[in-house]
Amino acid sequence: MSTVTEAFALVLQTDVLLAILLASIYGLVVGSLPGLSATMATALLVPVTFYLSPIAAVATIIAASAMAIFSGDIPGALLRIPGTPASAAYTDEAYAMTRKGQPELALGICVWFSALGGIAGTLSLMILAPPLAEMALSFSTYEYFWLAFLGLMCATLVARSSPVKAIASMLLGLLVSCIGIENPAGTPRFTFGVTDLLGGIEPIPALVGVFAVSEVMRAMLNPEPPKLPYRRFGSILKGQLELTRTYVKPQVRGNTVGIIIGVLPGAGADMAAWVSYSMSKRLSKEPEKFGTGHPEGLIEAGASNNASLASGWVPSLLFGIPGDTITAIAIGVLYMKGLNPGPTLFTERASSMYALYIIFIIANILMIPLGIAMIRVASLVLRAPRASVMPIIVLLCAVGAFATGNNLFAVLTVAAFGVIGYVMERNGYPVAAMVLGIVMGTMVEQNLVTSLIKSDGNILPFFSRPVAAVLAAMTIAALLWPIGVRLRSWRPRSAPSA
Amino acid sequence: MQLSDRYTGLFLIALGGVAAYGGSRLPPVPGQQIGPNVFPMVVGAGLVLCGALIALGIGRGFEDEAEADLAAHSAPEFEQRQAIGWGRGLMALVPPALLLFYVFAVDRLGFLLTAAVIVLTAAFALGARLRLAVPLALGAPVFVHLVFSKLLRVPLPPGLLPAPW
Repeated sequence: MSTVTEAFALVLQTDVLLAILLASIYGLVVGSLPGLSATMATALLVPVTFYLSPIAAVATIIAASAMAIFSGDIPGALLRIPGTPASAAYTDEAYAMTRKGQPELALGICVWFSALGGIAGTLSLMILAPPLAEMALSFSTYEYFWLAFLGLMCATLVARSSPVKAIASMLLGLLVSCIGIENPAGTPRFTFGVTDLLGGIEPIPALVGVFAVSEVMRAMLNPEPPKLPYRRFGSILKGQLELTRTYVKPQVRGNTVGIIIGVLPGAGADMAAWVSYSMSKRLSKEPEKFGTGHPEGLIEAGASNNASLASGWVPSLLFGIPGDTITAIAIGVLYMKGLNPGPTLFTERASSMYALYIIFIIANILMIPLGIAMIRVASLVLRAPRASVMPIIVLLCAVGAFATGNNLFAVLTVAAFGVIGYVMERNGYPVAAMVLGIVMGTMVEQNLVTSLIKSDGNILPFFSRPVAAVLAAMTIAALLWPIGVRLRSWRPRSAPSA
Repeated sequence: MQLSDRYTGLFLIALGGVAAYGGSRLPPVPGQQIGPNVFPMVVGAGLVLCGALIALGIGRGFEDEAEADLAAHSAPEFEQRQAIGWGRGLMALVPPALLLFYVFAVDRLGFLLTAAVIVLTAAFALGARLRLAVPLALGAPVFVHLVFSKLLRVPLPPGLLPAPW
């Protein structure tokens, strides 16, 4: 019990609470602006977390990402433009409700069920993490290699693009992680004699470039999104309790799917929302109502993406393997703050872990009042012309990258990865897969090489240990999945044409 | 910059080949088979394979499906990618160019001046009027300087125009 009180003492400090509040407001605003994703909001926060206490730093990441995932629903519902990719799956549904004259109901569903989903995800984190941690204590490099590899494969599965291109993106990320002297022999690799490259490519500047700079680059060419007409909202939470009672099953399903997808390394909120929405449609008693402003799919998918956000921390905290791009950033912050991910985190730093759960719960409860306030001022925030927001983003990219190491080379990295990310996105190469490759490259290599050295170049031990074998089977299944899907979808298509 | 899959695939083949070759030339760890060369070679080989598949157009069907799905779910006027001429296409390079400008100018000009130039240029490039761009270019650098330099103690260079606080 003393750990719990200790955890409360860690959280209930002015700096932590203030950090949660400010990060929440920041997350809400950034998430609601179309094009600015939750990942980008989190990435730009990293330099700020350097200067905070460990708990406050983690708190800012948790609060900002949770809020941004919810507030991405706002422009989706009001303008039919998803604020974050995680909202894209049900934007149409929410917008249809707005057109029917029920924007309050649509946004109310988003905020209420996002919060409930977030809390369900947190509970899963609390329940799942400790037993998994116990299991993870017996893992060796073989298991870690497969886990990391499985994470990378999942990241390619979730990309809504060609799986071949997704794997290519991931390999590009792994190649980037080869740069530098952090390799088994400590020899400079792919540095071309440039001193700045000896330390390798830092993930954070690369991330900022890929997610923020390339977004500004796109904004330079795309037309400005339409302005939101001013609108007065009625009660936002009216009718939500009734919906909660009516749609118990979709909720449970949405939360469960979200949690499972979150726990899988590499798959995150975007994937959770898409899977849940289509599942809801398939299993619903009234599938014909979907797309016409029916709350069921909205409830299921809205709960799902927030649930996955919390459970995405399970692989991150246990193995240091990110559940999605947001936790990829969070892992970096954890390392910086001396909270190195790993199973021992749960035994040695138990109070910090409890503090993390408490922060999750606080952030999700806070989401309801702050979210409602955000919905009410959304018409004002969304009226801000893009020309006033994007220049500040460019400036923050430069200063933020510089602040990660007080080094101008990081700013160059940001610019380079902005261009790389832009070109990749344009040609259908998913950038999230590359980012995860960069983040996890060193880990994959270390575990691969150590395992190979231990086994003297023999690959049999990769499959003969029981847990390793299961993980290997899952990884190979993830690799073969797209081929299976293809084969199945070929048949019905050829039938009607014949 | 939209290229055909054939070009990007061929580029990946070349990149993978160079990576694998470069990896194979790395000095081994004495007395051991496995060293820093294994991983780049594996990754490079994978890239060559993927590049070949992409160049041959395998997996393209998934992309079309995903695009159709996304188009069905969001506003057509916003998602549509209209053809953009080369001249206008170059506008996309403004943000990275501004970052390069930051790298080369910040030590000489100082943070406040450099930041003001960046914000002003970016705002104009996005079609802002003077009434918006100038106050933004005056206000944003000061605010960012206050947050990063005063609160977070990031050593931003003073240059020609040191901050008065």
